[in-house]
Amino acid sequence: MPTPTLTEDELDATFAALADPTRRAILARLAAGDATVNELAEPFALSLPAISKHLKVLERSGLISRARRAQFRPCHLEPEVLDGAVDWIERNRRIWAERFDQLDRHLRELWEPAPGTTEGRPTEGPITEGPTTEGKQS
Amino acid sequence: MTESTQTHQLDITRVFDAPREVVFRCMIEPEHLTHFWGPVGMSTPLANITIEPWAGGRFETIMVNDETGEEYPSRGVFVEVIEPEKLVWTEPSFGITSTSTFTDLGDGRTEVHIHQSDLPEQFATPEAREGFNSSLDRFAAYLATL
Repeated sequence: MPTPTLTEDELDATFAALADPTRRAILARLAAGDATVNELAEPFALSLPAISKHLKVLERSGLISRARRAQFRPCHLEPEVLDGAVDWIERNRRIWAERFDQLDRHLRELWEPAPGTTEGRPTEGPITEGPTTEGKQS
Repeated sequence: MTESTQTHQLDITRVFDAPREVVFRCMIEPEHLTHFWGPVGMSTPLANITIEPWAGGRFETIMVNDETGEEYPSRGVFVEVIEPEKLVWTEPSFGITSTSTFTDLGDGRTEVHIHQSDLPEQFATPEAREGFNSSLDRFAAYLATL
């Protein structure tokens, strides 16, 4: 896996942090470069304390970090954490695809006659191209 | 802004060449589940599977990495079990609900549809997934459209 795997707790925090549109907008802003609380507050009709609250949630989730020393403590996006959350989604999709492949094989073993026998399958109808394995992802 | 029409979900569908009762049983009987539950590179030994196929029953598995032996436990609870049509379970630690629907296609085949919901919505759209998947720049571009 290209990025570190997040623990469930970390994922919970990341997903919770991402669930808010203001926080997503803050992340989008930070993707363009570091910014201070004042700079981040500008485009929003929100008070500084309200923005600070959002930043705390983002900081806890690890999605952003803040400089300790600098006077205005600029916020910095931590893209790896985001990638970790994305990975989880993609991983989950892949897991299901692979499960289905294996289930397909398992079902064929259950239903196909043993080699050398002439017994048909217990289902009706001609078998033309074998089981349909195409997965449609919508 | 298309966000309002999107729901928080992931979907995956597959058609199996087996009757619905059989496919459904594979999902609720550990003896079957153990054959396919672990994705490539992982196994889910029989001893690691608890399935209580009724509402409130447990659906617990521990997948094991074949190489490292690392374990991946999943603790789900069934919300709804309608044999042989539907299984709904939640994984409280993620707040994610999975619904699997089993449709008899009438020709001996069965369509299985897995739907996972309550994901944060920015993961729901293909554009978002794509953006997330590659680079942060694309992510930022998508966010800007929200």
